[in-house]
Amino acid sequence: MTYQRRERRSLRGASTVRLRAALVVITMVLSVFGVRLFELQGLDPQAYAAKAASMGLVRAVLPAARGEILDRNGQPLAESVAGEMVVADPTRTKAHAEAIAKVLARRLHLDYFDVLDRLTMPNTRFQYIARRVPSTLATSVVDSLTARGYEGLATRRDPLRVYPDKDVAANLLGFLNAEGQPAAGLEQTFQNELAGKDGSETYEVGDGNKIPLGENSEVAPVNGKDVRLTIDRDVQWYAQRVLRTAVHNARADSGAAIALDSRTGEVLALADYPTFDANHGSNAPEGDWGSRALSNVYEPGSVEKVLTTSALINEGLVGPRTRITVPGELRIQDRTIHDYWPHGRIHLTLAGVIALSSNIGTVLAARAIGAHKLAGYLHAFGLGQRTDVGVPGESPGILSPPGQWTPIRKANIAFGQGVSVNALQMAAAVNTLANKGEYVSPSIVEGRATTADGQVVGTDVTTRHRVVSRATAAKEARMMEMVVTQGKGTAPAAGIAGYRVAGKTGTAQEVGGACNCYAGGGYDVSFAGFAPADNPRFTVYVVIKHPRVGGAGGGATAGPVFRQILDYLLQKYAVPPTGTRPAHLPVNW
Amino acid sequence: MSTTLSTSQARVRVPRAAWEAVERARLTVVPRGTARAPRAPFAVLVIALLAAGVVGLLMFNTHMQQVSFTATSLQNRADALTAQEQSLSMQLAHLRDPQVLAQRARKLGMVAPPEPAFIRLSDGKVVGDPVVATPADAVRIQPFPVSKPPALNPPPRVVRVPAPTAGSVNPGNTGAASTNSGPATGRKGSTTRTAGLGATH
Repeated sequence: MTYQRRERRSLRGASTVRLRAALVVITMVLSVFGVRLFELQGLDPQAYAAKAASMGLVRAVLPAARGEILDRNGQPLAESVAGEMVVADPTRTKAHAEAIAKVLARRLHLDYFDVLDRLTMPNTRFQYIARRVPSTLATSVVDSLTARGYEGLATRRDPLRVYPDKDVAANLLGFLNAEGQPAAGLEQTFQNELAGKDGSETYEVGDGNKIPLGENSEVAPVNGKDVRLTIDRDVQWYAQRVLRTAVHNARADSGAAIALDSRTGEVLALADYPTFDANHGSNAPEGDWGSRALSNVYEPGSVEKVLTTSALINEGLVGPRTRITVPGELRIQDRTIHDYWPHGRIHLTLAGVIALSSNIGTVLAARAIGAHKLAGYLHAFGLGQRTDVGVPGESPGILSPPGQWTPIRKANIAFGQGVSVNALQMAAAVNTLANKGEYVSPSIVEGRATTADGQVVGTDVTTRHRVVSRATAAKEARMMEMVVTQGKGTAPAAGIAGYRVAGKTGTAQEVGGACNCYAGGGYDVSFAGFAPADNPRFTVYVVIKHPRVGGAGGGATAGPVFRQILDYLLQKYAVPPTGTRPAHLPVNW
Repeated sequence: MSTTLSTSQARVRVPRAAWEAVERARLTVVPRGTARAPRAPFAVLVIALLAAGVVGLLMFNTHMQQVSFTATSLQNRADALTAQEQSLSMQLAHLRDPQVLAQRARKLGMVAPPEPAFIRLSDGKVVGDPVVATPADAVRIQPFPVSKPPALNPPPRVVRVPAPTAGSVNPGNTGAASTNSGPATGRKGSTTRTAGLGATH
C-alpha cells in the first residue's frame, strides 16, 4: 500500500519533470522569437521592410489613356498612341550600367549620367529610364540590349501624344510638353476631361513573371474622355496653307482666317499664322503657341461699316438707295476724315458707300443714329464680349461705353476705328447678317465640354438672339454683293463666278510705334463675307496684320484668301449656286 | 470544495480489509484485453492523405506557375500586336494627312478647280461656271524656305584681287590665298573661301 502510494508519487513526479522541461524549452523558443520580433519591429523596422519590398515586389503606375481631340468627322487631331516607358531593374543592370547607359543615352536622347544614376540605384528593383517613347523604338532598343546579354530592362505601356497633321489646328490644340503636361490651347482648357486618372499596380515578380498568390493589388486607370471639335480638318489645312502664302507674300506680321457655318455658328476652320508643329511644340516660340485670332485685338476698320449701316437700316433711318452727298473731306472737332481715295464732292447711294468703302459717307449716314443706340447694336453683334469658345487667352476687345463717345470717336467707331475686336468676334458679328439677322454664338466644341474654369462650352450651349430683322439682313447682303461686283466695288477679286458672294473689305490703321498712335503703326487688312448671298451657308473672315508690300489692302491682300477658302468650302460641302439674279443696286446718283 | 473534502475523508475512513476488496472490485470492472483495431491501415491512410495533399499542392503550384508563364508570354504577344497595330494606324494617319494627300495629288498634276461647278443628276444640267484649271490655280502647299539667321549666314566677304597678269598665279591659288589672309576660322573660313572664289569669277 505504501509502496503503491510511492509509485504513484514518483509517476506524478516524472510527468512534472517532463512538463517543466517542456516549459523551459517552450520558454526558450518563445524568447528567441520575442527577441527576434523585437529586433525586427523595434530596432530597425524600415530597413527590413525595404529589404522585403526589394525582394521582388514591384510597384508601377498604370497610366490612363488621354482622350483624343477629334475633328467634326471623327478624324483625330490629337491622339494618344501606345508609347512605352523603358524601366530598369537596378539589381540586374548595375553590373553593366555604363554600357547600357551609353546605348540608352544615344538612342533615346537621354542624359548619360542621369541614366547611369538610375541604373545603379540601390535598394530598388524599379526605375523609370524614359517615358513616352514610341513603342517601336522602345521595343527595339530594349530587345537589342537584351540580345547583347544586358538584362534588367523592360518596356511598359505609357500613352504617347501625337498630332498626326503636325501644324493643322496647332494653335487651337496646343500640345503636351516633355513632362506630359498641357502647355497651351484646348489640351490645357480641357485637361480635366482629357486626362483621366492614372491607376496603380503592386505585385511580386520572380524571374520576370508575376508570382501567383503573391502580393498583388491593382487600381484600374480611368481613361480620359474624347473632345470632338467643330473644326473640319481638311478646311483647316487648306485655310492654313492659303493664309501662310498670303501672309508670306504680303511680308506681314501675322494673319488669321476663320470659316463659320452661317446657320449654326460652328467654326469649321480657325487658321493662324505663324503656327508650329504641335509634335515639337516646345521648340516653337512661346508667342506662337496660342491663337492670335482670339488673343490679339485690333481695330476692325471698314468691315465694321456693315454693322453700322445694318443698324441704320434696321432703325428705318436709311435704305440701300438712300442718296448721300459725300464731300472730299469731313471736319469733325479738330480732326479731318478722308476717304482712302482722293475725290471731290461725289454722289453715292448707301450701297455705293459700302461698295466703295467711303468713310465720309458712313459717318454722314451714322449721324442719324444716337451713340447709345449704335453702341447697343454693336454690343448685340457681340463686340466687346468674349466669344467663350473654350480657347484659352481670349481677349474681349474694347467697346467703350457710349457715354464717353465724343463726336469724333462716334464717327471713328462708325467706320471701325476706335473699337477693338478679336477676329472670331468680328467673324461672328458678320455672321449675324449671314444668319438672317440673328446672332449665333460661335462654338469650337461639338456637343459640350467643361473647361478647367468650370465653364460649359460647345454647340449644346449655343445662344441666339435677334439683332436686326430678316429684311435688314437681306438688304445689307445685297449691298455687300456690290463690293465684289466687277466695276462697282473694292474687291472684284473676291467674287466667285456663278455664285452670289457678299463681302466687305477692311483696311484699318494699326495703333503702334513709340507714340502708341496711328502714325506709328501699319495697317491691318481684312475681308469678311459669306455665300451664297441670298441663302448663306458659310461665313469667312480673313485678317492680315501689318503687310509690308505696296498696294496691300483688304481687297487685294485678304480678298483672294477669302475667295480661296470660300471656294474650297462650296466645293467640299457641294453647295451649288442658288441660280437667282445677282443684286444690282445703283452705287451713285 | 466541500464535496471534495468529504470524499477524501470518506476514502480514509474505509477499513483496511475492505480496501483490498474495493481495489479488486475496481480491477475486475475494467475489461481486459480490449480488441484493438490494427494500426497499420490507419497510418497508411494518414500517410497517403498527407502525400496526396503535398503532391496535389505541389502540382497546383506548378500549374499556377505554368499558367503564369503562359500569361506573361501571351501578355507580351498582346503588347507586341498592340504596338504593331498602333504603328500601322500611325502609318495610316500619315497617309490620310491632308498635306500628304495634297502632295501626292500635286505629283499627279492635279490642282483644285478655280470655280466650283456641279452636274445636276436629275436633268444633267451643269450648275455654275466650269473653268479649266491651270497650273496657275495651284495653291502653294509647301512651306516657304526658311532663311538662316544672320549668325549662320554672314554676308559674303568680297576680296578684291588685282587682275592676274599673264603667267602669274592661277585663280584657284588666289582663292586659297584670300582664305589665308582672312581672320575667319572654322565655318566662316569656308564662307570666305567661297566668297574669294566668287570674286575671281
